[in-house]
Parts: sequence; structure tokens; C-alpha cells
Amino acid sequence: MIEIKNLTKAFGDFTAVDNLSLTINTGEFFGLLGPNGAGKTTTISMMSTVLLPTAGEILVDGVPLSRKASAEKRKLSVITQEYSMRQDMTMKEVMEYQGRLYYMPMKEIRKKSADLLEFAGLTEFTNRTVRHLSGGMKRKLMICRALLIDPEILLLDEPTAGMDALSRRQMWNLLRQVNDRHMTIVLTTHYIEEAQALCERVALVNRGKLQKLDTPDNLIKELGTFAVDETSDDGLKSKYFHTRDEAIAYLQTAGSNASFRTTTLEDVFVECAGRKIINN
Amino acid sequence: MGILTVLWEKWVEFRRDFYKITVAAMISPLMYLIIFGMGIQTTSHGEPYLHFLIPGIVSMATMTGSFSAVAQNMSVQRLYEKALDQVMVSPTPLWQFILGQIIGGSIRGLYAGGIILLLTIPIRTDLIFNGMSVFIMFLNGTVFSTIALVLSFLAKSYTDAPRYTAYIITPMSFLCNTFFSTEQIPNGFRQAIGLLPLSQTSSMIRAIANDQQPDYIGFLILGIYLVVFGTISVVFIYKKKNL
Repeated sequence: MIEIKNLTKAFGDFTAVDNLSLTINTGEFFGLLGPNGAGKTTTISMMSTVLLPTAGEILVDGVPLSRKASAEKRKLSVITQEYSMRQDMTMKEVMEYQGRLYYMPMKEIRKKSADLLEFAGLTEFTNRTVRHLSGGMKRKLMICRALLIDPEILLLDEPTAGMDALSRRQMWNLLRQVNDRHMTIVLTTHYIEEAQALCERVALVNRGKLQKLDTPDNLIKELGTFAVDETSDDGLKSKYFHTRDEAIAYLQTAGSNASFRTTTLEDVFVECAGRKIINN
Repeated sequence: MGILTVLWEKWVEFRRDFYKITVAAMISPLMYLIIFGMGIQTTSHGEPYLHFLIPGIVSMATMTGSFSAVAQNMSVQRLYEKALDQVMVSPTPLWQFILGQIIGGSIRGLYAGGIILLLTIPIRTDLIFNGMSVFIMFLNGTVFSTIALVLSFLAKSYTDAPRYTAYIITPMSFLCNTFFSTEQIPNGFRQAIGLLPLSQTSSMIRAIANDQQPDYIGFLILGIYLVVFGTISVVFIYKKKNL
């Protein structure tokens, strides 16, 4: 279990994460959503100890996470937003370096690396340096690298950014599989449909503060399960209703440029983030 | 174990860039030897100038070899590739990572100095280089590796590494008992230069080369640099809020 308690991170006058508190249960697929600059990456960076908090703490199974906490860090693996790898290492060397950093026996490193790279369709590129890989291939390699060590907790910061639709779907399936093995997954993503498809619970953050925390279904229910979109000179506006009848009744009074649909997590995100941005 | 991982990573880098690293380690010292030692043939204290120059050049090569191996590599890993994140999140104790960097950097410095020694063999200078010389070269490498670590943690962009070389390494290369004896330098300035690590290394290696007893205070001074910068780099990697 991960407990984030009153976590704050300031860079000079700018507070990127502001008194964030939440709990992520063991084996949970948890999403951290928010607009650009919401503090998602900063939170992941603190969870991976690359950044140290200004205040507050992160507990992994009740033990405070720090740069010295080797036993707790052993449980963690992270896929950062940027391609955080030695650009002049080959895929094989990247995997070996990761295995060595986690004290894996060489035999196991070789076997698991081969299996993971084959699964990701990268076997024929194992001797190619990272510098010469496409963005999607680098992303897949980062995922292979993170899974090599069988982590208990996987931190994913925009893991499918830059991937084509097919690769993204493959990735979703892979993440579901590893989550089924009781691995805790914390995901930040810009693809809201990704969070809706994968996450059991999501936290909506904006300007470093927690706005909402619940299951995608509950968040949608709270906003209204049905939506009517109206296109006018001011752009697209959506109205949300708790029952189908209410939505249809509204649709009948609306102009011809109105349409009916079910609400998605993206609507919750837009309403939450958009409202905050307008208010600010 | 973590130390071996870092040394393995350094070995991978060395194996891949063997020719580049070797040629880069040779060019400047070789130029200095040819221009100052052979082109401008002079004597120093009644001895051929080469006898004075070679120990200085070997010390300098050790310094630049270890400094550049750590400063450039770490700056790029931390600021450009973000590959340091992989180490930070891993269970490898960070002090072992630091120690691995220091040892790896020193070995690269030793390699650079060793190349110069090999190149000077045909000159037949009768200078003495023994196990103690190698130890001093290694110690010098550890000092400059730790300095490089501290500076790479302070760097704001990866282009800072060449600047550090220009601000620190280049002046030391010329001033610290490498090309000329510091005896002629005015008081005050001379003592200050004498406290710099390269001055001590050059003096000790030169003394051994000329079959004299090195001034053992040099070990103390190098040791102090090593402890101070080594401690700062360990504190940085554990305590620096934004790595």
C-alpha cells in the first residue's frame, strides 16, 4: 500500500504539488489525471525519490520512502515521461544495467530480457543503441526494463505517449495482465480513455491539489451519466443529466445542433480542470 | 555489488568509445611533449626539460582523464538523458554508485596517464615510475573524479561540463607545477597554487621519477580533497532536493 501524506513540492515561489494526500491500495490500478502542469510528473518523481518533497511524506507498506530506503525501492519500478536511458547503450545493455542495479543474477537477466523483448517485438533490435530507436520502440524498451525486475509497484508516467493506436492497445493488455498478478500500478496519462479503460480509481489533480478521488463510474455518475452536446457560435458546450429522460427532454428543447451521448471520464476531467482554469 | 555495476557501465562505455577515448587522452599531452619537450629543446636545473615535463604531463593526463570521464558522463546522464533516474529509483545504495563513479573515473585517469608513460618509453629518459607513482596517479584520479561529481551535481545544463573544464582544469594544467617550476611565482600566489591537488601530484611523481623521496604531505593534501569532495557528493546525492 502507498500512502501519500500532505505531500508538497515547491520550486521557489511555485508550488507544483500542494498538500496532496491519498492512499493507493495494494494491487490497485490507480490513475492520476490532470491538465498539463497539474503536478502529476512531480508526484511520480517524488514517488521514485528523484525529487524530495518540500513537506509531507510517502509511505510504502508503512515505511517512509527515502533515497536510503533500499528495501522499499526494491519494490518500485518507474517508467518516466522522458526516455530516461543511456542513449549510447544497446537494448541488451539497458536491460542488463537494470538487472544489475536490482542485483538480479546474470542468468535470470538474460532469460527474462529475452522473453520481455520478444513479447514487445523488439528481439531483432537488441543490439541497436537506444539513440537509433524510434520513439515507440524506446517506450516499449522502457516498459520491458521496468518489468524485468518484477516490481510490486509500477509507476507509469505517460507510458503510451508517442505510441501508435495498435501499440497502445497492446500496452493496455500488457498492463492489465501485470495488474492481474496483483501488481500495484500508478498511472498518469493524457489519454483519459486510457484511464477509464484501465484504472479502478482515479485522482483528478489540478495545480497540485487533489480535486476528486473515486472510481471512474462514480465520478461519471456524480457529474451525470448522460450528456447533451450543443454546438453554437461560442463552441461546443455539454450539459449533463442523471437520467436518460432528463437528457432526452432537454434534447427536444435544444436546437438542431444538439446531440445525445453517455458521459465519459473525459467529461469529468474537462469539467473539473476546465472550471478550475476558468476560475483561476 | 553496486560498485561493480557502475564499473561495468563504465566498461561498456570504454569498450564502445575505445578509440575516441584513447585518441582524446593522447592528443593534448602528446602535443605538449612534442612542442615543449622536443621542439623547444631547453634545460631545466641542468637537466633536459623533458625530465621535468614528463612527470607533469603524466599528472595532468591523469587529472583530465578522470575529470572528463566523470563530469561529462554524469552531466549528460543527469540533465540530458535523465538516465540517473534509473539509478535513483533502484535499490543500489547511492554511496556505492558514488564510489563506483570515483573508482571508474580514476581508472580512466590511470589509463590516460599510462598511455603517456608508454609513449615516452622510446625517449629513454631514465625517469623512474614505480608502484608508488601509479598509486599517486590513482589517488589524483579519485580527487578529480570527486570534484567532477560535485560539479556535475551543481550543473544547470549539460553544456556546463566544458565550462568547468575551462574554469578549473585548464588553469590547473598550466599553473600546477606541470610545465614550469612554481619557484619563480610570487609569494602568496605560489603557496596557494602549491595547495592545489595537481601541484602535489606533479611534485610527488616528479620526485619519484628523479629517484628522490616525495613530500608525503602531498598524500595528506590529496586525502583532504578526496574526503571533502567525496563527502559533498554523497551528501548531494542523498539530500539534494532536485537532482
